[in-house]
Amino acid sequence: MIKLNNINKTYFGAQPLHVLKGINLDVAEGELVSIMGASGSGKSTLLNILGILDNYDEGEYYLAGKLVKNLSENQAAEFRNKLIGFIFQSFNLIPFKTALENVALPLFYQGVNRKKRNMMAMEYLERFGLKDWADHYPNELSGGQKQRVSIARALVTSPKIILADEPTGALDSKTSAEVMQILREVNATGITMVIVTHERGIANLTRKIVHLKDGIIESIEENDPDKMDFTKEIK
Amino acid sequence: MFNRDFWSEIFMALKRNKLRTILTGFAISWGIFMLIVLLSAGNGLKNGVTGNFADRIKNTYTIWSSSTELPYKGHKAGRFIMLNNKDIQLLESLYQVEEVSPVLSKGGTLIFGEKSRNVSMEGVKPIFKNIEGVKVIEGRFINENDMRNKLKVVVIDKNTNEELLRTSEETSMMGKTVYINGLSFTVIGVSKGMAFGEMGQCYAPYSTIRAIYNVNEYYQLTFTTKGLDTKEDNEVFSKELRKKIAMLHEFSPDDNRGVWIDSQMVNSLETMRIFNTINIFIWVIGIAMLISGVVGVSNIMRITVKERTNEIGIRKALGAKPRSILLSIVMESLVITTIFGYIGMICGIGLMEIVNSIMESSGAGTNSEMGMSVFVNPTVDISIVVMATLVLIISGVAAGFAPAWNSVKVKPIEAMNYR
Ligand SMILES: Nc1ncnc2c1ncn2[C@@H]1O[C@H](COP(=O)(O)OP(=O)(O)O)[C@@H](O)[C@H]1O
Ligand SMILES: [Mg+2]
Repeated sequence: MIKLNNINKTYFGAQPLHVLKGINLDVAEGELVSIMGASGSGKSTLLNILGILDNYDEGEYYLAGKLVKNLSENQAAEFRNKLIGFIFQSFNLIPFKTALENVALPLFYQGVNRKKRNMMAMEYLERFGLKDWADHYPNELSGGQKQRVSIARALVTSPKIILADEPTGALDSKTSAEVMQILREVNATGITMVIVTHERGIANLTRKIVHLKDGIIESIEENDPDKMDFTKEIK
Repeated sequence: MFNRDFWSEIFMALKRNKLRTILTGFAISWGIFMLIVLLSAGNGLKNGVTGNFADRIKNTYTIWSSSTELPYKGHKAGRFIMLNNKDIQLLESLYQVEEVSPVLSKGGTLIFGEKSRNVSMEGVKPIFKNIEGVKVIEGRFINENDMRNKLKVVVIDKNTNEELLRTSEETSMMGKTVYINGLSFTVIGVSKGMAFGEMGQCYAPYSTIRAIYNVNEYYQLTFTTKGLDTKEDNEVFSKELRKKIAMLHEFSPDDNRGVWIDSQMVNSLETMRIFNTINIFIWVIGIAMLISGVVGVSNIMRITVKERTNEIGIRKALGAKPRSILLSIVMESLVITTIFGYIGMICGIGLMEIVNSIMESSGAGTNSEMGMSVFVNPTVDISIVVMATLVLIISGVAAGFAPAWNSVKVKPIEAMNYR
């Protein structure tokens, strides 16, 4: 599903910052992978490249067999819209749209008509127990509810891959556990998932842990989340 | 693309930013409104003043008797020069002169029933009406038939007409017989006329007055010309004519007085020049207003795009194509400019129509004593307004385009992380 060959990325600010120094990584379809590392190690940068939200300088990135390099704006939009679902630490919901409208928005960009859009969005909200919150605006929702809305929004287009950047970063431990449970269930339906985190407890719930340090992959650890004790706090 | 969803997105955006929408809109409305008011006021002034000339033919001259200012060949300064038949012969000998129309003036008393009034009676030719722009408000002016048959008919002025009808059972003077210096005249018309105080002013056929009084001296000679089309032509002609008349009456050719020579052509060219200047001035102000409106729109569009940067980033992450974002921002500015431009247009036209109708019913803007108007029909050609509004809308879109394009170009992650 994902194949990275020698990905390099430098931020050209006041001082050039070489953030990713040759990343090689394969993620197969249906995998549940976490990217772990200290703050500033380049996790978000890597995930943004995976999501075509940012570009890279060197190397090749293949997504679902297609080379993602020098795409036009329109091609990039198509990829993001059809293949990828995003989940962010800060939710990134549109504040003046209701939960339902937020979830339905990706379908708007697919040209799905309003009725069908709202129906599908409602289905996903229902699946995450948010049916009664459909007409509420993001500022009327708790953190956990917001993240569930954004998960619903990420899933509504039935993407091939979900990219989550610190999905539990803004949540308390109980809510974090709930959100992780949902993500694991989503993965169980066959959707590939890459989760960025700096918390061991979160990484422990994934099957493959990629350790990132100073812009290179230090090690890749196989993990069995089912051995985890869910009664224990994950944070 | 332009379906219900598209429009509801736009109107949601406008509703969400009420203050911004209203401020932008007000700038636009105000620009259009002021443009209309300015253009209308300019037109009103133009209509008012040029209306005074409208009935006049332009290729005319008037020569007035006057006193000299310089001594010449033994004559003292201050000698009064009376125009006479030699001047008429001189004029008729000039190839530039088409028709001479002398004015025979005779003071007298007009009597109708019990009423009497001092009048100045002018014996004139029919063409006098066009030369002086006499406005006939009832009946008719002197015609060729009156001239040929030396009919004793008279056109009285408005004030005299009102005075004669006051406390009378009659409602119109048309066809009534009045006595002027003891001779009976039939009233054929009422002119708006220049009436000074208690003195009335009547017009009778030139031939009639000439036959009765045998006057050979004139205070005023008028004539029409041909082939004198420019200001320069007329100035040269005036100078030449002044020399010739000076020779005839033995006053200095360098004397600026002696006679007044007044060219209607030069006057009206002068007036037109002033109005063209006013017009240009109004347009410059108007265009400056439009530009300030457009600049206002583009600035506020810039702020809007900045405010929406995060949202645009999110939309791009969810698969929005640049075109759809660009279109929504541009349409937003288009909708604002169109709606508020239209409001400004309606208000401006509405106001000027009200002003116009009030002025028409009250007669304000015209000076009836002098028969002159200064401000008439202050309205503006609707097509000009529509053009101006279109210009504003198109420039509004152009203004909204640059910031929209910049926001579309930005990488989604940068837009999302923008603070
Ligand atoms: N847009 C940017 N411009 C310049 N430097 C950046 C930018 N984004 C991130 N960085 C820097 O790159 C490094 C990696 O950032 P990031 O990928 O966000 O790390 P992580 O998510 O692992 O904390 C950090 O030092 C950060 O300051
Ligand atoms: Mg990060």
